[in-house]
This record gives sequence, structure tokens and C-alpha cells, in this order.
Amino acid sequence: MRSALVTVFGLVSSLAYAAGIIWLYTTQPRSLQEVRTGAQVAAGVYQVDEARFQAGLDLFRREQYRAARDEWLRADPARRDARIAYYVAYSYYREGWGRLHHDDALYKLGLEAVDRAMALSSGQALRVDDPDLGLNTAAELRAEMQQGIEKTWSDLSPLRVMDKRK
Amino acid sequence: MTGAAAVPDRIALRRRAARVVLLPWLLLTVALLGGVRVAARDRSLLFLPPPLITLVLAGLLMALFIRARLVRPGRWLSSRYTVLENASHAVTLAALFFASAQAFNSVLPEAGLLHWIFALFFLWTLWNDQFAPFDPLRLLRSVAVLFATAFALKHLLLAGLHGGGGGGWSRRLVSTLLEGVTLGTIDLPAFAPATGYLSFFTLGLYVGALALVRPDPESPPPDTRLLSAAGEREALEA
Repeated sequence: MRSALVTVFGLVSSLAYAAGIIWLYTTQPRSLQEVRTGAQVAAGVYQVDEARFQAGLDLFRREQYRAARDEWLRADPARRDARIAYYVAYSYYREGWGRLHHDDALYKLGLEAVDRAMALSSGQALRVDDPDLGLNTAAELRAEMQQGIEKTWSDLSPLRVMDKRK
Repeated sequence: MTGAAAVPDRIALRRRAARVVLLPWLLLTVALLGGVRVAARDRSLLFLPPPLITLVLAGLLMALFIRARLVRPGRWLSSRYTVLENASHAVTLAALFFASAQAFNSVLPEAGLLHWIFALFFLWTLWNDQFAPFDPLRLLRSVAVLFATAFALKHLLLAGLHGGGGGGWSRRLVSTLLEGVTLGTIDLPAFAPATGYLSFFTLGLYVGALALVRPDPESPPPDTRLLSAAGEREALEA
């Protein structure tokens, strides 16, 4: 009986170990911290650091966009949170917005982030009810940045200086 | 059950634990660490999956294990065992294959001309060994020497040649030997010294695990089969 138990333990633990190795080689973590975060995600116990998220939000409201993104990266190292991805995209939008021209490079990064936010929201429409934001859905934010990147004749219109940042 | 009868039971249980728990875990640890590198620039971890050539080399090495009767597949996977035991043995054999592939991965240069020179060196050696008479003990020694040589070449000689800005003894030695020969095609990624230590540990673990492998899972422990001197072993068999 004990002999069979040892065999079962050996088989199950070896298969689990092998699965762990495959997971490591697939996910390619670059540090032990990333290994830990990845393991938390795989085990379903991963949580966003809410305090850091709020700290990032304070920075965002003070228009410290780069610092805010840095804080949010620490709050969600696995990049699994749709809401944080949305705010990251929004920070790129606000940083890239200009009365005379938009920064295409920042808008492209914003588009990547909003696409990630939409993917993370698992097919549902992503909505963030924050009165400080002029665009409350991922679809609106995406359309705004997409429009900002596109080159049209309206870019030359002098009335453009009347546009408002959302 | 009397105390005298319980002792052989405990010994049998320990042997089984070594076979179905310790051995696969050692081999899987080799499979894990064989592809790990530490980048010199930012000390980040890199997990390099085994290149195709290492799978071919591992296949040749497995064939050698079978020819030298270090492993007898017919004894490992047999109808005399239960399905559970056969599954456990199959996992161990698979772990042996992948550990071998990753051991090669650990000592093969990652890219460039040297990668293929080393691969050809391994291929040539393993192909020749297929036709040489081997017993498990000799094979174990031969494998240990093969990996030790490749380790010294990659992690001592070549790492010294490419590492740092100073110029250690190996850099000066190889520069002298290769004077006039272009090194334009010898391009190796830079890894931190920790990579060499990891590789040393991995290869030591691999050779140690091979010493635990027995032709037949139920055969006596390895100290009388693999690790004793050849003369003693012959005397035992006689």
C-alpha cells in the first residue's frame, strides 16, 4: 500500500514539476519576481496592489503621466488588469494630446494599451466611471486616439485650436 | 510483522522512492536548469528551450544508453508492472531524454559558428560511440568526460575569451593560438559568470542522476553496479 502511494506521489509530483518547467519556458520570466507574479497568476491568487494604483491615480490627476504609468506598472506587474490598462492608455492620450498637433508615437502606445484593456475585459464593453475622464469607455478612447493618428485635411483647420482635451 | 522482516521492507521502500521520486526530480531539475542563462547586461534570467540539434544528440545518447545496457527499456516498461508503475517509469525515461537534451543545451554555444562546431563534435563522438563496446560504467565515465570537456571549452575558454573588457589568460592564449585567423563569425551572446556556475551544477546533477539509473528498475542499488571499480564488479558478478 505504502509502495503504491510512493509511486503515485512520484508520478504526480513529477508531472507537476514537468508542467512547471514547460510553463517557465513558455512564459520566459526575466527575474525571480516575475516568476513569483506568474505563479500567482497561474494559481489564481494574483491581486493588483490597490494602494499603488491609487498613488498612480493621484499622479495622473496632477498630470505626472510618466510617473503614474511607472506606479501602475508596479501595481499590476503581470499586466492583467483591464482598468489599469485603460488608465495607462488614457495617460498616453493626455500626454500626447496637443492643441496644434498630437504626438503619434504616444498615441500608438496608447492604442496598444487600450487594445490590451479591451482584450483583458474578456469581450465585455469596458467602462470606467471616473468623472475626471472625458471618455469613459475603451471604445471611445480608442476612436479618439485612432482619429488623432490619422492624417486628414481637417488637421490644417485653424479651428482645431478650439478643440478640448477630454 | 517482526522487526527483522520490516527492515527489508523499509529498504525496498527507500529504493522505490529513489527510483520513482528522486531520480525523476533530479532529471527534471537538469531539464529545468540546462537552458537557464543569466544575461551579463542586466542579470535577467533567460530560458533557452533546447534547439533541435540537442534533441538529435539526446536521441543518439539514449541509443547509446540502450546499447551499453545502462537502460533496458524492456525491463523498465514491462507487463510485470502495474499501469501506474509503467507510467512512472515512462515519465522517468522521458525525463532522462529531456535532461540529456538540456545537458547538451547547457554546454553548446548559443549561436554562430561555434554552435555548429560543438554540435558536430558531439555528433561525431556519439556516432563513433555507437559502434564501440561499452558497459554502463565505462559509458558513465565517457559521458562525464564528454560533458566536462565541453563545459571547460564553453564556460572557461570561450567565456574568458568573450567576457569582460580586460583580457584574462584564456583570451591571451586563444588570441595567440588564433593569430591571423578571423573571429568575425564567432559571435557569442554575453552571459554573467553565474551561467557557468549553473551549468556546472546542472552537469554534476546530470552525471549524478545517471549514476542512479539502473538497467532494470528492480536491480540492486547502483553502488555495486555502476560506481564500483570494474574489477570489483566483475568479482561480484562472478
